[in-house]
This record gives sequence, structure tokens and C-alpha cells, in this order.
Amino acid sequence: MKHELGMSLAALAVGLMTSVMPAKADFWSDAGAKYKGVTLHGVTESTPPSNYIKDVLAPAFEKATGIKVEIETTSWDQMYDKAIKDMEAKTGIYDMVYIEQDIIYAYLARDFLVDITKSLKDDPSLKAPDYDETHFTTFANYFKNADGDLFGIPMEAFIKLYLYRTDLFNDPAIKEAFKKETGKDLVPAKTHEEYTQIAEFFTKWGKDHSLELWGTTAQASTGHPASWYEFFESVAPTFGVYNWGIDASKNYSASVANGGTMNSDKAKAALKYWLHLRDIAPPESPASTWTEVATTFAAGRAAQGLVYGENAAWIAADAEKSKVVGNVGVALPPLEPGVMEDAEAGKGYIGYYDGGAFGLPITSKNKEASLLFLQYIGQDSVQGDWAVAAPRITNTATYDDPKVIEMDKKLNGYYTMLKNDGKLFAGAPPYPFHAQVREATAPIFYKILLGEVSPDDGLDQMAAAAEAELTNLGYRK
Amino acid sequence: MRSNRVGWLLLAPTIAILGIFGIVPFLYVLYVALHQWNPFGANPYMVYNGANNFRRLVFDNEFLTSIAFTLKFAFFAVLSEVILGYFLAQLFMREFPGRGLFRTIHTLPLIVAPIVVGSVWRLMMTPSIGIIPYLLKSWFGYDLNIGRDATMAFALTVIMDIWHWTPLVTLTLLAALVSLPKEPFEQAQIDGANRWQIFWHVTLPMIRPAILATVFIRLMDALRTVDEVWMLTGGGPGAATRYLGLHIWKIVFPKTDYGYGSATSVIVLYLTLVMCWLLYVALVARRGQKRAS
Repeated sequence: MKHELGMSLAALAVGLMTSVMPAKADFWSDAGAKYKGVTLHGVTESTPPSNYIKDVLAPAFEKATGIKVEIETTSWDQMYDKAIKDMEAKTGIYDMVYIEQDIIYAYLARDFLVDITKSLKDDPSLKAPDYDETHFTTFANYFKNADGDLFGIPMEAFIKLYLYRTDLFNDPAIKEAFKKETGKDLVPAKTHEEYTQIAEFFTKWGKDHSLELWGTTAQASTGHPASWYEFFESVAPTFGVYNWGIDASKNYSASVANGGTMNSDKAKAALKYWLHLRDIAPPESPASTWTEVATTFAAGRAAQGLVYGENAAWIAADAEKSKVVGNVGVALPPLEPGVMEDAEAGKGYIGYYDGGAFGLPITSKNKEASLLFLQYIGQDSVQGDWAVAAPRITNTATYDDPKVIEMDKKLNGYYTMLKNDGKLFAGAPPYPFHAQVREATAPIFYKILLGEVSPDDGLDQMAAAAEAELTNLGYRK
Repeated sequence: MRSNRVGWLLLAPTIAILGIFGIVPFLYVLYVALHQWNPFGANPYMVYNGANNFRRLVFDNEFLTSIAFTLKFAFFAVLSEVILGYFLAQLFMREFPGRGLFRTIHTLPLIVAPIVVGSVWRLMMTPSIGIIPYLLKSWFGYDLNIGRDATMAFALTVIMDIWHWTPLVTLTLLAALVSLPKEPFEQAQIDGANRWQIFWHVTLPMIRPAILATVFIRLMDALRTVDEVWMLTGGGPGAATRYLGLHIWKIVFPKTDYGYGSATSVIVLYLTLVMCWLLYVALVARRGQKRAS
């Protein structure tokens, strides 16, 4: 009898376990059952993190839920073109769109996106057990509204960092020559003056030794907004010019006369500094966008440079694409005095915190199924492999993943820098008119690059053009 | 009466398609052109502003510069394509070994998408990594940098267009040349005309309709070129290759200034029609009048 009772209890326990355990393990198949046969469509920029979603996470999600996901990866311009047209015309083609940090304010202003926090609260049956939005890094704050609700699942975040060639910086002959010429030790620059000195030294070194080597990179395309971004998001802030020099609290002023800083002395000094660097950078620089700058560095043509973090991993570790594997050091960008203090006090920032999220358009015809997919890519368990495949971290749990720790060593501490110093960097300012102001001022910026207008006059003209555009858009009264 | 009705019935699908895909969008563009509309403005909705967008265009330096560059581009590209296309068509009229193969190879650029053409040319022209700057530097010591040299960037967009579209001109003119009767040429030879006289007084007048049609098509295409130039130079350096199509694209897409972009499109359409009409008058109508008088 006792034996039979024991058997019965054991059977009951096994039964209970088997009925309870799959409830958690099979959340995805249970939640996805209702939407089996549905095909979700997403559009994103063709970058390593997005390609990982397309090639790895989307098929895994389909396997787990039966919901098919088609991710369209395209160019940056096309991606926006398609997403905005779809949401504007309310055609509902896309169930997920890539939201770069600088456009979230425009999307929120237009009510283009679904409130993910609220939607999951309203329908708890859709909430995945392994998804917790409190696990995201502070980068997620860019995708929240004033109430703290999340409108995009952060899927990539990088800082634009200062890369330098450790093999060159540690070469005894080079170190000695640098010391002889400048009286200083050859170490990564902390100030603009030091950076310029190192850049000039290496450009001369390359010339004297008939090497294809220059002192710095420069993202200085004369027909692509990449140059505009390099100046306003990566160089001007290191001189203390924040938010593109536009002050929203002063009636969206850009000119010094009206309270802005776009044509301030600091901005003019920053531009002259950068133009000088452009002049001693590799000859491809006037045609270089963010992609070409990474390629230039990976080809071993520059001793140092400001490079988007999304390229750091392949430059440092992919021998098939990069000639400088194992020879890449990372550092914080050079700064003017006072800028670090501003950043630490939260009054400024030292560089660009780039990245994006996946959002759910309000026009989507498959919102519930899309919410499942967004949680799938946001859950802790998928982050480690994703961070190794593409150097992005949006979830705090990722830092402790052994694979990520291993990768951090190969990248000379890039992830550690992201973790410790990420707070010193900032995304684009919270303006809903990014492309509009950029397009209004970029033609003048290109003229400066071509030497058709002086930097001082050009910045004055740009400040005036920015204010005229903001007036035309109705922001400036 | 009955045949009229059947005729209209047969035409109905074409008229419906033309109406839906041609006339309705055009009327919508015209409607938008009369409004201020930027979805990322403080007021994201359409606000009627009469002819203000058109007035703004008259004082828009970027637009006026863009017109000048586009006309220059169209002139050099179309003229070169017609001249080169004619000579190639004449060449293909003759028998020579490998003519079929050469004709096929020569036609290949036509089947390449403009965006691909632009990408390939960009790869070839990018300073430091492109083959063309490398060869020019090694052979002639010439530094080709399309990021800095506006004249060279302009010339390259023209050369790229010629490379891509000359085969179309060749094929059209070849078809026209092949269909010409032999008698007028034989008669001209008997009368002692030399090659230039035969070309000027016999060939050219007889293929004029084909040339005109080709010029119209190429002119309209050249005035609205976007993809190839966008890929090769992005409109730069500065505004040196920011042709009208690209200019409108930048206003409408990145800048999302739909009202102003629509007004620009309408004006560009008008300019294209006027240019084609002027060309028609210059080449056909006046000649017809002369003959009649």
C-alpha cells in the first residue's frame, strides 16, 4: 500500500512537473500558435546587427513560434524612405521598422509607433518570461516617452571611438622619432593639440618612408551627409558645442546673436581643426562616408581616427577584411579643457552614442505577433551571441557573458569602455527635424569643404540657414 | 456611330490606366504644390499657401544652380550620345568579322540597372581604391579625386551617362538606317555627290524623325537622372552634380518638404515640355513651313 502510495505521489509529481515546465519552456510556441501562418515584414539598414536578426534571430523565432519573419535589409536612405512612406501613407506593409536614435523624436511627434510597455501591460498573455525592459542599458532611454514607456526595442548601440594602431604606437623606432620631433611620448592623444601633432607626425612619416600611411582618418565626403554628421556629432561636441549648436530653450536659435552656438568661436575653432585633419588624411577622405573611413583604417592607411563602434569588431578581429587585426587600440576622443567636466556633470557629452531600435508601426496589421518578435530579440538569452557576431550591446546582462568578455580582450577593452564610459557619450539631440536642418545647411557645409566659403563665413551662413528652416517648419517663432 | 463606340470601348482600359497612373497622380502633385506640407514640421498637416512655393522657387539659388548644371549635363551627354551613336550605327551597317558579337557586347550596358552602373563606376573612381585613379596616377601622374574636383566629377557623370545610353541611340539609329531605301543613295552617287553631301542632303533628312525621337527620349531621361549620379557622386562635390532629379529627391525625401518638392517637380515638367517643344519647332516645324512656302 505504502509502495503504491509512493508510486502514485511520484507519478503525480512527474505529471505536475511535465505540465508546469513546458508552460515556461514553450511560451513561444504557445504564444505563437494563435498567429501561425502570419508573415511579419521588417525593414532595416544593412548592418552586421541587422543581418544577424535576418539570418539568425528571425529563423530561430520562426522555428519557435511558427511565425515567419521577413527582414528587408537595405541602404540607410532607402530604409528611411520605405519606412516613412509606409507609416505616412498608412499602408501597413511593415510590422517592424528600424528607428535610428536620431529619428525617434520625429516618429514620436507623428505618433508613428506603438507603445510597447503599455501594450504588454494591457495584454499580459503576450509578455515573454525572458523579456524584461529594465535589463536594457541606459541607451533605451532614448526610445522612451515622458512617462518612461518604451517605443522601440534597442537592438544596436555603439560609441564613436578613437581607434589607434598599437603596432605603430608601440614601435620603438617610431616612438623615438616622435620623441625627438615633439619632445613627447607617443601615446593616444587626450587633447586636440596632441591629436593634431600625432596626425601630422604620421602623415610625414608615411611620406618620408614611402608608405601608404597617413596620420588620421576623416569622414569628409563633399556630397554625403556623413561629413556633416562627423563634424556636428563627433568633433564639435569635443570643443563644447552640443546639440548641433541649436538651443531649443532659446526659440531654437542657432546663431550666436540669438543665443545659439552653431557659429560660435568654439564651433569655428572645431571646424578649422577638423579641416586641417582632413587635409593631412588619406586622399580618399573627401569621398569618404562612415563606411569608407572604417575601410581606410582596416586597410592600415591611417594611424588613428574616429570610427563608428559598429566597425570596431571586424577591424580588430576579422582577418579576412582587415589588415590591422590584433593592432587596434581604443581610447576616448581628444577633448578641449572643460568638456569632460561638462560630460560628467551631465551638461554636455564627449562624442556620439550611435544606435537604433526596432519599433512597431501603429499601422502594422500584425501587432501582437510583432510584439512577440520584438521581445524575442530583446530577451537576455540571445544577447551574448549577437554581441559577438556584431559588436553591439543594448542589454546589461550581455557584459557578463563569457563570450563577450573574451571578445572584449580581442577588442582591447571596447566593451569595457562602452560599459564604463558610455554615459559620457550622447545620441543626437531630441529634435524632430533632423534631416530637415541637415539638408538645409549641408550644401553650405560642402562649400566650406571645397574651400568655396571660409569656415567662419560658412558657419555664419549655416546658422542663418538653420534658423530660416526652423522658422519655415514652424518651430522657431 | 457603332464603330466609334467599339473604338472607345477598346481604348477604355488604356485610358483608365493612363488616368489612374498618370493623370490622377499629376493632379495630386499639382494640388500638393499649392500647399505647405512637411510632416516633420510643427504643423505636420497640409496648409494651403497658394503660389508661394512657386514664388520661392524663383529666388532659390540652389534650384537655379541645379537647372544650370542639369542643362549643361543634358547638352553634353545627349549631343555626345547622338554623335557617337550615329557613328556606331554606321559601323554596324558594314560587314566585318565579329560584328554580331561586338553588337551584343555594345548593347550590354543597356540591361544594367542605373543604380548598379552608379555603384560600379563609384568603385572604379573612388580615390585610392578605384582602378581609374590608380591607372591615371601611374601612367600620367594625374590625381583624380571626385571628392575634390568639381569639373572632373561633372565630366565623369557625363561619361557614365554616355557609356550607359549610347547603345540605345545606336540601336534606334541603326533601325532607321537599315530601313532606308537604296534608291536615293544610288541616285546621289550617280549625280556625283560626295560622302559628306550624301550624309547632309540624303541620310540626315531621311533619318531626322528617328534622331528627333531619340533626342526627345534621351533629353527627358537626362533631365530626370537620379540613381546613377546619386551613387557616383551623391550630387557633390558641393552642388556640382546635384542635377534636378537629385535636387527634387533631396527636397522630397530627406527633407520631406512635400509641397515645395511638388512645386519643383511641376516646374521641371513644364521646363522639359518647353524644351522639347522648342526643339521640335527648331528641327521640324520650321523646316515644314519652309517647304510649304
